[in-house]
Amino acid sequence: MAEDGSTKPAAADIDTSRLDSKRQTLDDAYAAPANFLEIDVCNHQTHGIGNKRYTDYEVRMKTNLPVFKNKESTVRRRYSDFEFLKQELERDSKIVVPALPGKALGRQLPFLKKGDGIFEDEFIEQRQTALEEFINKIAGHPLAQNEKSLHMFLQDKALDKNYVPGKVRNT
Amino acid sequence: MPPTQAVASEDQEKLLEEAQQVVKVQAFQMKRSLDKGKLMDGLKNASNMLGELRTSLLSPKGYYELYMSVCDELRHLEQYLLDEYQKGHKIADLYELVQYAGNIVPRLYLLITVGIVYIKAHQSSRKDIMKDLVEMCRGVQHPLRGLFLRNYLLQCTRNYLPDTEQDESDNPETAGGNIEDSIDFILLNFAEMNKLWVRMQHQGHSRDWEKREKERNELRILVGTNLVRLSQLETVDVERYKKDILPEVVEQVVSCRDTIAQEYLMECIIQVFPDEFHLQTLSIFLKACADLNTAVNVKNIIIAMIDRLALFACRDDTAGIPADLKLFDIFSLQIAGIIEARSDMPTEDIVALQVSLINLALKCYQDRVDYIDKVLETTASIFEKLKLELLKNNTAVAKELQRLLKIPVDSYNNILTLLKLEHFVHVVEYLDYEGRKTISAYIVNNAIDNNLPVPSQEQVDQILTLVAPLVKDQPDQPEEEDPEDFAEEQGLMGRFINLLQAEDADQQYLILNTARKHFGVGGNKRIKYTLPPLTFSAFRLAFTYKELGEEDDKWEKKCQKIFTFCHQTITALIKAELAELPLRLFLQGALAAGEIGFENHETVAYEFMSQAFSLYEDEISDSKAQLAAITLIIATFERMSCFGEENHEPLRTQCALAASKLLKKPDQCRGVGVCSHLFWSGRSTESNGEEIHDGKRVAECLKKALRIANQCMDPTVQVQLFVEILNRYIYFYERGNDQITIQVLNQLLDKIREDMPNLEDNDETEQITKHYNNTIDHLRNKQESAEEGPSFEGLAL
Repeated sequence: MAEDGSTKPAAADIDTSRLDSKRQTLDDAYAAPANFLEIDVCNHQTHGIGNKRYTDYEVRMKTNLPVFKNKESTVRRRYSDFEFLKQELERDSKIVVPALPGKALGRQLPFLKKGDGIFEDEFIEQRQTALEEFINKIAGHPLAQNEKSLHMFLQDKALDKNYVPGKVRNT
Repeated sequence: MPPTQAVASEDQEKLLEEAQQVVKVQAFQMKRSLDKGKLMDGLKNASNMLGELRTSLLSPKGYYELYMSVCDELRHLEQYLLDEYQKGHKIADLYELVQYAGNIVPRLYLLITVGIVYIKAHQSSRKDIMKDLVEMCRGVQHPLRGLFLRNYLLQCTRNYLPDTEQDESDNPETAGGNIEDSIDFILLNFAEMNKLWVRMQHQGHSRDWEKREKERNELRILVGTNLVRLSQLETVDVERYKKDILPEVVEQVVSCRDTIAQEYLMECIIQVFPDEFHLQTLSIFLKACADLNTAVNVKNIIIAMIDRLALFACRDDTAGIPADLKLFDIFSLQIAGIIEARSDMPTEDIVALQVSLINLALKCYQDRVDYIDKVLETTASIFEKLKLELLKNNTAVAKELQRLLKIPVDSYNNILTLLKLEHFVHVVEYLDYEGRKTISAYIVNNAIDNNLPVPSQEQVDQILTLVAPLVKDQPDQPEEEDPEDFAEEQGLMGRFINLLQAEDADQQYLILNTARKHFGVGGNKRIKYTLPPLTFSAFRLAFTYKELGEEDDKWEKKCQKIFTFCHQTITALIKAELAELPLRLFLQGALAAGEIGFENHETVAYEFMSQAFSLYEDEISDSKAQLAAITLIIATFERMSCFGEENHEPLRTQCALAASKLLKKPDQCRGVGVCSHLFWSGRSTESNGEEIHDGKRVAECLKKALRIANQCMDPTVQVQLFVEILNRYIYFYERGNDQITIQVLNQLLDKIREDMPNLEDNDETEQITKHYNNTIDHLRNKQESAEEGPSFEGLAL
């Protein structure tokens, strides 16, 4: 690439000599990307009643990255599961984990909340979008892709908070 | 690849506006710096301005607008640098200098701008700069940014690429380059742009894929511009195109395995390069078509090519298709290969390809009927391989197939040429009843419109086999058909029979027999439309033989045979439970036989008359129809002069008898009245062609008519009949029948005058009164005029 080229002192009018770079083959040039990863967070549902009430989201993943065991998977996760993942990654991996959408304490405190609090549709939609952004950022990171916690979060039906942390080596 | 943020359209506008604002400000400052001669500051401003093109947020449309504004401003920089150079200022190190720009997008735009200034200023290092620029642009791999950057490169180098065989500079070290360098330059740029373009589809969330493909389609012209540039190189000849350009372009197109790109670029190749090039490289092009994605509509591509070449072949200003170029064979072979290679191609597309082949053959090789037939043969054999069932009408395949079949019909406008296509009928057979009938009607209509005679028995046989759905029942025919449509089709066949005209009479006889065989099996519903014109055609033929009498000594025997043929044909109609039609045909036949006067004609005419009588007696029962029929029989008989008294007498008597036996009195009265003419203007061989003028019998008839009229109960009808009889009396009186006297006329006039005032006042009475008054006016005129003839003296008006 241009910025990597070495510039020799001018012998002629203009010096255009560059380092040789390897030609791309036609197959490579037109291949579909080898690092396809797409995660949708969608179909939020609110379950239970009273103080057992909670919302969960469908986390749907599609990828062609060899590191993931399943190329497509769908699980349901709630906000606290995302928190769990963030916490695990912060402890075990060296990446800077992006922020989660806020906890919205204001909506949870009985004397402050208006309407349905954290179960307002509009609020859930916003949170869903933010969670999708969050998980895509993380899952796209090569170092995070080695963490067992991420794989479990994305692909195991149930999230086992007593799992044994470690690295994944699927190649 | 980072996902592009989807930005709503109202935000798009805002983003674009902001970016445009920065461009405006930076461009202003750039120009000010340059005006003050501060080149470094100017470059810095330019770089800032170009930084706006680093955005990932704009849609292709917005990015394009931004790009256009930036390009406008960059032209100032370019002009400044050129001016500087011309003033003798050294700018050599600028090419290196701009490469220190911090971001790659501004850096490469600046590099191109400076590079172009060099090329324009002194072409010596053009070759190296071109190569360097096109390679360096690889630095931007973001599809949208990369495509526009390379578009800038392409725009800037326009008109400045070397376009000669030899290097334009003497100095080999700093060569200006030649055509090969230009080709390499554009081909590399094309390959890179195509790659970026194809890749766009993967950029972003898969749920936005369709929208992205739409945007991608909007950008296609950027990629296509490369091909346009290639086609603008004047030094490129057929050989170079064949060797260096087309294979490279096609390789990229095939390898990219992208439907949008393949469809667009193949079309692009067809449109931008000249026909002469295509003619010499068809095999390469068509082979590539076979290798395209299955989703690609190859049919459209090939058809576009064929249409273009067919148009070329027809143009006056070109040499046309070179004689040694087997255009049809090449297409035919390659299309067969493509059909074979693409087993999932829809049948209608296969047929559409054959349609285009036929169009090609017709436009480029007008005389080669065998080419058309070959296409039809191929089509039939493809269908056979596919084991196709009958194609339902209105399906895509059936429509396409009908289109195919109509082309030769329309273009030859000659049914005889059409018959030379042996395989035409094999293809027609794949259509269902409706389809076959439509095509048949189309062929027959075309034949009628062009009004060309069909001169041989074999051709008639072929045609009637070809259009069999209009001639006889088909196994797959529906029970019920629309009677109006049916009548229209059969009417068409009736008209078609008039085209069956041989050049000589004997051949015509064979034609009629062949046609008779085909139409004879048409069933009761059809023959009433087809056999009458056939019979008339036979009568015409008999007249022809009469004219040929001097040359052909067997003409009388032949006429005899024709009348036998007619007799049989008319009898077939009787078997179909028809009566009025055969009755009329028999009368026509009797008239014809009498007029032609061949040996034995009297017997034939008598037979025909007696057949008409039998039909009248046995088959016609409606009283109105009876009156009409007997009137017609009498009128026909009155015109004939071929009978001897021996035959004339019984026929005459039979007429009078039949008339007087009509059921209703008014009918009897009128029938007998008409009959009176037989005894006056009738002719027999004994009268030597003269009218017999049997005044006595005439008077008897009229008297009888009067008697019957008197028996009528309805006074209105009675008076009406009196007026009619009065007119007959006057007619015969004027012609000198001495049995009719003024006294008789006066009596009848008195009777009418007496009854008339008692009639009810209504429309009918008014009609009768008018008729009567007209008659009186006529008599008055006669009385007053001094004409010769019987005197009207004594007539009491």
